[in-house]
Amino acid sequence: MNRGVALELDSMRLAHYGNQIPCLICDEGNTLDAENCRNCYAPLILAHQARSKNTAPVMFAALGPSGVGKTVYLGMLLDMLSRQPKHLQLSARGGFSVTLQQSTLAALSRCEFPSKTPNEPDRWNWVHCQLRSSKHRQPVEMVLPDMAGEALFEEVDHPRSYRVIHALLGRCDGVMILIDGTKLQTGSIDEDYFTMKLLSHLTETSGGAKTPWATRPMALIFSKADQCESCFEDPAAYAQRHAPGLTRICQQRFHRHRFFAAGVAGACAMRHVRGEGEQLVPLRVEPRGIIEPFEWLVENLPT
Amino acid sequence: MRPNNTNIPNTVLSRLPDWLGGIIGSTRGTAAVNEPDALPEKEPLAAAVAQPEERAIECPAAPVQVESVVDEMLAQGRYALLLRPQLIQNVTRKQLARTRTALSEGMCLVPEGQVVIRRNAAPEETEQERPASEGPSLRCEAYFLDRYPVSNAQFYQFVASGGYEHMAIWDPEIWPALLDFVDATGHPGPRYWHEGRFPRGEDNHPVIGVSWYEALAYSRWTGKRLPTDAEWVKAGSWPVSIQGHPLLLRRYPWGEAMDRGRANLWGSGPGRTVSIYEFPGGVSVGGVHQLIGNVWEWTADAFVPEGIDAAGATLQAKMKSIRGGAFDTYLDSQATCHFDSADVALARKHNIGFRCAISMCDLTVIPEESVEGLQEEEDQVETSFAENQT
Repeated sequence: MNRGVALELDSMRLAHYGNQIPCLICDEGNTLDAENCRNCYAPLILAHQARSKNTAPVMFAALGPSGVGKTVYLGMLLDMLSRQPKHLQLSARGGFSVTLQQSTLAALSRCEFPSKTPNEPDRWNWVHCQLRSSKHRQPVEMVLPDMAGEALFEEVDHPRSYRVIHALLGRCDGVMILIDGTKLQTGSIDEDYFTMKLLSHLTETSGGAKTPWATRPMALIFSKADQCESCFEDPAAYAQRHAPGLTRICQQRFHRHRFFAAGVAGACAMRHVRGEGEQLVPLRVEPRGIIEPFEWLVENLPT
Repeated sequence: MRPNNTNIPNTVLSRLPDWLGGIIGSTRGTAAVNEPDALPEKEPLAAAVAQPEERAIECPAAPVQVESVVDEMLAQGRYALLLRPQLIQNVTRKQLARTRTALSEGMCLVPEGQVVIRRNAAPEETEQERPASEGPSLRCEAYFLDRYPVSNAQFYQFVASGGYEHMAIWDPEIWPALLDFVDATGHPGPRYWHEGRFPRGEDNHPVIGVSWYEALAYSRWTGKRLPTDAEWVKAGSWPVSIQGHPLLLRRYPWGEAMDRGRANLWGSGPGRTVSIYEFPGGVSVGGVHQLIGNVWEWTADAFVPEGIDAAGATLQAKMKSIRGGAFDTYLDSQATCHFDSADVALARKHNIGFRCAISMCDLTVIPEESVEGLQEEEDQVETSFAENQT
């Protein structure tokens, strides 16, 4: 009898193999027991969990060059929203969704910044969570990946080199673009160019999308603002002063954008690490301006 | 342990009559106090304390100018100056009693003893893993520490009396930056004030938006100084020394475990500064309030980032130590008596304030019963004088 049951289960598995599961990010069909999408390497657990709710999750992406603070921002945001008992709350769906905030806060509590996000998509931290807000009667399913800045700019420079990024940008509902406020303050024009390239890329990728990027909400966040406090006073004026090219492209092409300033470390010091040179370390954790951009994105979600 | 800058206020004090007269003269037009000769010669108060009976009868009323200066200093919260050996001779017994009351109400005595200055946890360990007694042990001399952080109302006295214009209380190295120490409307004062005034309704909130140099100047103006790291930690952790055992130190002023109901931190308060009289449950054993939370507090010491950097660190600029955490401090491990953070000495942040200290040895010690006796006698003299008048 045991043997008969085993045969029946095997046939079930074969039937499941025939019924492929589409990747949540790129829609490519995958076998049921695959861990990552064979096309874009996004974790298929996202697709499994999304299927159980029958609604497509909202997707937000945090974009910006390497070292701008995407991981710290996302990790801090998730931790704050999962701890505060206020009108905006996030609850992780699955243990893997807590990893990003756990690793970020563990590093910050040791007075370190988290290590660089690897370029390989299957090693990124993905977050699948439920958002509860006063605006939505039902919890909203949400997916947030922590992408590597270098991979992102490889995709911008050579479109479709990272299929996961290409697919994600095509279907995400809003973006948080991080810009290093301290670099702008010192007169570096690289940040301005980086962001302009990214915005141009977004404009071009929205060709076939139902909602063009011009109408999708875009929060432009000056990161590390604790080290250039004038950011906090008027982020839009700060952008006008230090990133005129970026301001102009936003005004011309993106109707729903807003500038924000955010900081996590109250102050930083330089540390010398053998073999790696000088490294910036946070001297304390005092988040400021972290929730506001996300809250604005949620309020401006396309209906 | 005596801080390095203990002698600086004394240096300033030696010049005190000149610029003090300038302040009072400019605000009240009493030029007479500018002249040292205008002050009457009086017997040293210490002698008066030794012979209360004799002094009670022949106690002369202080001339109006001197009395008004002393009263004004008391009203400005500069009682510590009046207890300095250089000035105490000019204080009447009644004023002395008021001065002592102000001292005991405003400051708490931290007894001498050993304290351990723990550096922050190294990258490979967590705060919880480190015993509180680990670190170099230092000896602190007895000193007084403000019971509360300096409030907007207190700092206003300094601003209104022209504290930003009296160069003697500012380090010469900072003179070029003095013009930058202005409020949002360009008036001398803390960064977040307007028109030289603090925000309405925030008179009892801790003063914020002041650099380390402004904190130091204020402390000198009041005859005090900034506490050292060791003094600050001692006031909060209140070490207990038992023979043959490591020093017992508290992680928080109220005990070993975090209790967010006792401090204004991220998630436990309104997300901004609150009155210095709120969160009374966070009081230390010695009676010092809000050591943890509400605002970080500047200390006198330079920042030594040992714990976070075993390989040596280079600081971006002159950094000074801050302690205690603020209303936006996120991690419990960073809101302890031992956690050491820092900021650039010129930074004028939204969450950094300060409180002042004064060494016991810098004050003239008079037994309390002597002053009480003098006070009663002086009251009797005043009563009989009033009766004669009627």
